[in-house]
Amino acid sequence: MRKYVKKTSVHETQRYVCGGLRRRPGRKYRVIYQSVLLENLQYAANLAMGFFSYFVFIYIFIRLWNYMYQAPGELIAGYAKEQMIWYVMMTEMIWFGSDSGALTRQVITDIRGGNIAYMMNKPYHYTLYILTKYTGEWSIRLPMYALLATVIGTCMVGAIPGFRIAALPVMILCVVLGITINAVFKICISLFSFRIEDATPFLWLYDKLLLVVGTVFPIEIFPVALQPFFKLTPIYTVCYGPAKLVVDFSAGKCIEILSAQILYLAAGCGLMFWIYGKGVRKLYVNGG
Amino acid sequence: MSTAVKNQVRVCLLSVKYNIMREMVNPVTFVTNILFMMLNNATILVQWFILFRLRGEIGGYTMKDVMLLWGLTASSFGLSKVLFARAFSLPELIISGKLDSYLVQPKNVCLSMLTSATSTASIGDFLYGLVLMAFSGFSMGRLVLFLLFTVTGAVIFVAFTLLLGSLSFWFVRAEMAGGQIVSGMISFMTYPDGIFQGVSRYLLYFLIPVGMAVWKPVHIMTAFSGNADNGMSVGAAGQSLQSGLAALLTVAGYAIALMSIAVFIFYRGLRRYSSSSLMEARM
Repeated sequence: MRKYVKKTSVHETQRYVCGGLRRRPGRKYRVIYQSVLLENLQYAANLAMGFFSYFVFIYIFIRLWNYMYQAPGELIAGYAKEQMIWYVMMTEMIWFGSDSGALTRQVITDIRGGNIAYMMNKPYHYTLYILTKYTGEWSIRLPMYALLATVIGTCMVGAIPGFRIAALPVMILCVVLGITINAVFKICISLFSFRIEDATPFLWLYDKLLLVVGTVFPIEIFPVALQPFFKLTPIYTVCYGPAKLVVDFSAGKCIEILSAQILYLAAGCGLMFWIYGKGVRKLYVNGG
Repeated sequence: MSTAVKNQVRVCLLSVKYNIMREMVNPVTFVTNILFMMLNNATILVQWFILFRLRGEIGGYTMKDVMLLWGLTASSFGLSKVLFARAFSLPELIISGKLDSYLVQPKNVCLSMLTSATSTASIGDFLYGLVLMAFSGFSMGRLVLFLLFTVTGAVIFVAFTLLLGSLSFWFVRAEMAGGQIVSGMISFMTYPDGIFQGVSRYLLYFLIPVGMAVWKPVHIMTAFSGNADNGMSVGAAGQSLQSGLAALLTVAGYAIALMSIAVFIFYRGLRRYSSSSLMEARM
């Protein structure tokens, strides 16, 4: 007996997908997120290969700070040796855990190669699509690095002095917001490719500033005159804020950092949509 | 024999020249990449200014020594990527079976593969190294030593990368492991050796060739400058020159030995290579 199979025309499917998703705009991004998440789960073992680089960085900084702190109990910029090393471990965890090829390369490649012409017609906003895809990638990577950081830190440095386990959900929220702000700003810089051919050098500079100024030292270590300036840069919301809450939590600092992050995220998203809107209007397609 | 070597070197230099010319098709992007790479490297100095504000010396190094260390690392890495950038993507060629185009040419396979790509941004690394060397204390003798050690450093870099990359002939996963080890090596190179003690220091001199690529050359150069500044007697200067020359030969010998091992492993691995039958033209 022939089984009855309900046939659906392409037009009907398209109407279901587009119409259905249009009614619930968050759903399409959830589907993208889930598919990237599942794809990345298959390569979780490959991600673990990056642990070596993370370990090298942390090992170097443990040696360096052991050398810099000469007397036990010494404080540098208000941080004990364990806090300073844990600070670097947290910022490097965010750095390695949120490192993504999709974000740094795809936008530039799409714009340079002309692929953007196809993607901008899809039933999603291109920048949100990239952001969602990126979130799917770090959702696997970050917990793995967090686990590694905890193991290395506990074995080689010891527990964080005065760590508050009850504040862990807020710390996680702060890390997630920091990573998202970083992603939004990186997309903004990548979108410069609409105007100049290759925005990669600007990304290097942004990354290096964040890496050198943000991940290696807490803001308090810089000259007092420079500290207010750093508080206005993404360094404060992306690196310093989340790491500071982990190594030296206080309710006042938490409210201050979360408020700054929300403001930064809103401003960053506004800027991202504006640059994208301006960019696609200048887009020339050569056909093919 | 000498004509064959001359021809081979000429072909390699031409290959590098055309790689650079190809990158220069868009001059704005070419210059921007170089300048931004230099600027990108310069930001690292902030870290050292902060650290030296906390302590006058770190691991036996002063700020000028760290600048020299950074300069030598940047120049060696830059030179290796300008001349032999393909060494850094060798595992990809092996795994995807793209070595065919090198095998069919009447040239040395290893050398023509190594010189088939150039990273223009690395010209910025090379120039940045020279600038840092000038700031760390310029003299003609120091410049000559710096250039010599840049060459030995670049050879060590390429040899180590080639050696690790060649492991992909046997293990697929070696691709990722090799990349991680090379990036780890660069990280170690930019910190003073004085902060590493015990087994790690031993490993960094003998297993991962960080010590021979930059640390030992920096020690030789700082000793050379120190002796020149102190105005030594002729006898003492002669002895110092002799020990400096011996150290220089040790580094050069190490670089040649490592490169020989890397080339040997590459050709051993090449016997296991299987093509993906990919049609590819190499101009």
